[in-house]
Amino acid sequence: MAEVTLTNVTKRFGSVLACDDINLHVDDGQFISMLGPSGCGKSTLLNVIAGLEEATSGEIKIGDRVVNNLGPFERDVAMVFQNYALYPHMTVAENIGFSLRLRKRPAQEIQKRVMDVARMLELNQLLDRLPRELSGGQQQRVAIGRAVIREPSIFLFDEPFSNLDAGLRIRMRSEVKELHQRLGVTSIFVTHDQEEALSISDCIAVMRAGRIEQTDTPENVYSRPASKYVARFIGSPQMDIFSGEFERQDGRLLYRIGEALFEVPPLINQPEAPVDIGVRPEHVLIGEKGAPAEVHIVQPIGPFTYVTAKWEGGEATSRVTGIAHLKPKEQVYIQFDPVGLHVFDRTTEKRVNLFSLTA
Amino acid sequence: MTSYAFRRRLSRNFTRFCLAVFVCICLGPVLWAIVTSFLPLSAMTSTPPDLNPLNATLENYVEVFDTSRGLLSGLINSLIIALFTSAIALTLGAMAAYALARLNMPGSTPLLLVILATQMFPAIVIVIPLFLVMSRIDLIDKHIGLIVVYLSFVLPIVIWILKGFFEGIPLELERAAAVDGASPLQVFRHVILPISLPPLFATGVFAFIESWNEFFFAIILTRIHVKTAPIAIAEFSGQYQTLYGQMLASAVLASLPVVVLAIIFRKFILEGFVEGAVKA
Repeated sequence: MAEVTLTNVTKRFGSVLACDDINLHVDDGQFISMLGPSGCGKSTLLNVIAGLEEATSGEIKIGDRVVNNLGPFERDVAMVFQNYALYPHMTVAENIGFSLRLRKRPAQEIQKRVMDVARMLELNQLLDRLPRELSGGQQQRVAIGRAVIREPSIFLFDEPFSNLDAGLRIRMRSEVKELHQRLGVTSIFVTHDQEEALSISDCIAVMRAGRIEQTDTPENVYSRPASKYVARFIGSPQMDIFSGEFERQDGRLLYRIGEALFEVPPLINQPEAPVDIGVRPEHVLIGEKGAPAEVHIVQPIGPFTYVTAKWEGGEATSRVTGIAHLKPKEQVYIQFDPVGLHVFDRTTEKRVNLFSLTA
Repeated sequence: MTSYAFRRRLSRNFTRFCLAVFVCICLGPVLWAIVTSFLPLSAMTSTPPDLNPLNATLENYVEVFDTSRGLLSGLINSLIIALFTSAIALTLGAMAAYALARLNMPGSTPLLLVILATQMFPAIVIVIPLFLVMSRIDLIDKHIGLIVVYLSFVLPIVIWILKGFFEGIPLELERAAAVDGASPLQVFRHVILPISLPPLFATGVFAFIESWNEFFFAIILTRIHVKTAPIAIAEFSGQYQTLYGQMLASAVLASLPVVVLAIIFRKFILEGFVEGAVKA
């Protein structure tokens, strides 16, 4: 087990800047997710940590060692790949035991440790099968077994569940989370699925175009996004972000979005520049009071219904508990829950604290 | 009414018919050669040819093994040359193809094109200069001389075929092995090599057949000692008469190793070429 520290790590491929001056600290035993869209450099960063790619500049520390000049094996990391990367000509047992065989461990020890790992991952019935005879989920469990048997100081996961179907993906999430709770090994998990990152990690680093935009707990990344980008990337359906203007009416503070006026809490700071306001669906309230709007789309998903309402100059999506008995074109009134308002500087796109309730 | 099912059956049967015609065209001469090799000379030269199976004889086969005919030594020479050519082509070709597929060397694309370009000259263009060079360095009528020449045209093709296959192997496989603690050599030995056996067999058989069948360079670059099987066969056509029966009997004999190879490895050959084609 070990902590990981990246200092000013940069990785270039020719003229392409894949990782741009990354600084990151992962505590011993922490489970961190690198979250971002494809092409944001998250997998490259993982490969740099693994030693599969060389950093162009910067320092990578695992534990107390600077590992820049060490190979993947010497870094004592184990990795699980998106396409599993099982050795196709070896059985499950041989796949799991390969690293021990390379280290010339006695056959008995290999057999015992393979059995232990296989039992933990419920692979003991499949030890003599070849990878192509397994289902996707089983293959991924073998890949995890191959990592676990090494007893490494760090686990690296490169989008391990992307090739699995939805149901299996959710089951594997809890399996990996349980594994982490049991072994307590520092883990770095790359994914483009925000829900996966939120559900599995102690900490999330949101990446954008080779840079880390925000590193924080899942709660904070969701409820206090550091920028518009993070706000939009996390949460589904997306947060609605509006470019409006403040207005005062009868001593009340209002925010004008198109033709509609929304009541907002009093300011604690005067904004220095124009600001945008973002609201997540659960904080868009449909009811008897507020700004008039017309129901546009109704999407029931079971426990909730997402209702998108339109008005002249804007639209917002609201999450209604249960089944909403609303029809398109119906007239409704919407309000924003003051606790769920996110304010962003319009030019820098960074979060600003403006309202007394959300400070 | 022509239903969709009927039309589909019709078009499938038409395809089958065309394939059957193609197979007949390809196999006809082979069949003719086999039949003829069992006939006495008199039966062949009569008009129309006397195909009475009662006349069938093994005399052609017995006579071609007369050592003065040179067929036996031709087969041995061909075997030596083809084995060495394919072994060297596979060893060097696999290494070169792997390097070209995996190492991002500057200039690897031009290099590949140059390798391909060496194949663009008709043999007739290079054979005279080649002969001069070979005689200057005293490689005429030597096994190694032909092996070197065959390598020059087998190796580029081997490199291209294997490069396509190696590129189809997921990079993660090698990375997984590296993370598991394998050195580059161990990655090759434990992971790449075992999964590459089918295409290696396929390309090996290809290289063997190419050098086994080669005639043009062999007739120019050999004289007495290193006549290969195709040359020995051609020599049945003499100044005064052509011994068709013996010639074709030797041809059938010389084809046997190739046919046997193809049958034994046909699963590998198909797998190998399909994988190389689809995955790349």
